[in-house]
Amino acid sequence: MKNISRRDFLKLSTNSLFAAAGLLGIGGLLRYLSYQFDPTPQSEFDVGPAINYPLHSRTIVAHVPAIIIHDEDGLRAISLTCSHLGCAVEERNFGFECPCHSSRYDPNGAVVKGPSAANLRKLRVEKSEDGNLHVFTT
Amino acid sequence: MPPTSKHRHQLSRSHTLLAVAVALFLLIVSLLAPLRAGASPQVQSTATPTVQATPTFDEQRLEKPVIVDDPSEQLKKGSEIYWGICMACHGDAGQGLTDEWRDAYGPEDRNCWQKGCHGTDHPPQGFLIPKTMIIPGVAGSGRLTRFKNSQELHDFILANMPWWDPGQLTSEEAWQVTSYILRLHKVMPLGFELEETNASAIRTQHAVPQPSDDRPAVLALTGILALAAIGMIAQDLRRNKISVVAKPNFVHHLHPPTLPALQARFRYTLGAGGLAVFLCLVLLITGILEMFYYIPTPEHAAVSVEVITSLVPFGALTRNLHFWSAQALLIVVSIHLLRVVLTGAYARHRRLNYLIGLGMLVLVLLLDFTGYVLRWDEGIRWALIVGTNLLKTIPWAGDWLYRLAVGGPEPGTSSIERFYTWHIFVLTLAMIILGAWHIFRVRRDGGVAVPPPDQRKDNARISRFDLVQREVLVMVIAGVVLLFISMFFPAPIERPITQATVDVQNERAPWFFLWVQQLLKLGDPFFWGVAFPIVLLGVLAILPYILPQPGEEELGRWFPRGNRLAQIVTIIIAFAITLLTILFLIPTTQL
Repeated sequence: MKNISRRDFLKLSTNSLFAAAGLLGIGGLLRYLSYQFDPTPQSEFDVGPAINYPLHSRTIVAHVPAIIIHDEDGLRAISLTCSHLGCAVEERNFGFECPCHSSRYDPNGAVVKGPSAANLRKLRVEKSEDGNLHVFTT
Repeated sequence: MPPTSKHRHQLSRSHTLLAVAVALFLLIVSLLAPLRAGASPQVQSTATPTVQATPTFDEQRLEKPVIVDDPSEQLKKGSEIYWGICMACHGDAGQGLTDEWRDAYGPEDRNCWQKGCHGTDHPPQGFLIPKTMIIPGVAGSGRLTRFKNSQELHDFILANMPWWDPGQLTSEEAWQVTSYILRLHKVMPLGFELEETNASAIRTQHAVPQPSDDRPAVLALTGILALAAIGMIAQDLRRNKISVVAKPNFVHHLHPPTLPALQARFRYTLGAGGLAVFLCLVLLITGILEMFYYIPTPEHAAVSVEVITSLVPFGALTRNLHFWSAQALLIVVSIHLLRVVLTGAYARHRRLNYLIGLGMLVLVLLLDFTGYVLRWDEGIRWALIVGTNLLKTIPWAGDWLYRLAVGGPEPGTSSIERFYTWHIFVLTLAMIILGAWHIFRVRRDGGVAVPPPDQRKDNARISRFDLVQREVLVMVIAGVVLLFISMFFPAPIERPITQATVDVQNERAPWFFLWVQQLLKLGDPFFWGVAFPIVLLGVLAILPYILPQPGEEELGRWFPRGNRLAQIVTIIIAFAITLLTILFLIPTTQL
């Protein structure tokens, strides 16, 4: 490094400064673009009185979307969001089918045919003090 | 002793490594700076009220406001006001007048509306609380749902609170209380100072991410660029006249291989054209960035501008850069136009390019105006109404033009969408096309200018490498100046337009149309507001076609004799516009 000329030194420092400015600019750009103003979406849904879901009923709640199943094991909810890429699955006589890429699930949400690799998610269901059911998507 | 090529190679590799290391270090330091500033130990002071009211109860809850974790002055004052005025009814935690809260008082005061201070027989200092009234909580889940944002909460408090004496609070005090309540409600970011130009960005139902202090990073960037400019200047002083660089890159190829050194003289060009190109680039980049957050609807436009300005990291910088570049562009292109006329550079075969340039001036004005309107806040309200109503005064086509610009019978959702489309797409695209054509014509017409006659034999030429180097230097210096201005002078912003507010007004046109506003005071709006400015533009456009042009031997100098008349006409126009603007700004005596 000893025999570096004055001109080369100036050039090197200037270029380093430009590189630093560029990196700083990119850093600022990334921070600018990663700001999130919109609130995180709702994750708790009040789906009405529990008595609306009698024993041996299967009820689709479209706005969650989920299906609430009441059988001998009690109340449970299965997400109707396809575990493949997020389309809403549709109920069929064999269970559920995704309209987007034709993944199939059995009536309990277990995957039967790909491309989906995972079962439909089981959602937490709770009964609140006022007797309403609450479904949690997270 | 010249270094061997191998030696040189090694040297340059170590240079690169060193450069990258230095750059990374600076980057990390500057990016960490704001984080550190945010994490620095905050003074954990309990906001002790200085209001010398004597609480009549000795319960701890009544003694002082709920401790707040943010020692900002606004919040501290708010906590005092809340404690002194609001807390008795709305609760120490903003829970409202619950049984639990009433139990904090002595037994004789728990049923306050039955008798005494708040009963039907209340003393003069007291007031009646109707038995049926439910006093709402102001903090916690499900509260404040009737207010979208802190602006609405502030307006409500200002107009309706305290309940027994509405209007007692000043607007400033209402901001302080609003700030405190929203802190209790857990949606108010730490250290955020509420005011009417950022309050719509703070919603009552969702906490916003903490805004960061990005000044240190901006300062670092400005400093680094300033140092780089100094480095470039130092190199330039030591350079040989002819740069030896083997291969021109893409940017070099956009320039002629060499050009006469005399064509690139600063005192002839003033650098205005090149500066305008740079400002357009800054406008394009910052404009695209703004589009990531801007929402062109009447409800959201001004709010999204507030979000960009007060919450998004480097958002204020982006917006200020966009604003100041736009203002600077208008000035720079005006100087460019003056230069072209005062040097007679529009002569002969350059007449077409002169017209293209005038077209671009019109585009810049329209871009400036549409961009100004996109703020959609109280500051643009009257400029928008006047500007669009001027269209209506045009005979025959007026109504059609108004509908084309506004998209409906009056400014609303359609108009903001249209102004947005004009601004970000149609006018910008036209600007890019005309700009490219303009620059192409400069080259086709033989470069910036013919050198002065006595110097045409001078064969000194500069290479495109030198030219690009000069351009970069000017851009860096201009960038530093812009960054500096943007850091310390924020772009204007006012509260969003809402139906409720007509008292807050800014009746001024944007500064570049103040001269038109002054003209409009003279009488007929079509004549003074539309026809007259168009005539001025028309006069400028026909200068090269009707007035004498400078002779070939006069080119390349300021103030050639040949086109004196054109110079005088242009100076009169420039002078008149300046004078009208100044006349407008002189306050008229109010009788």
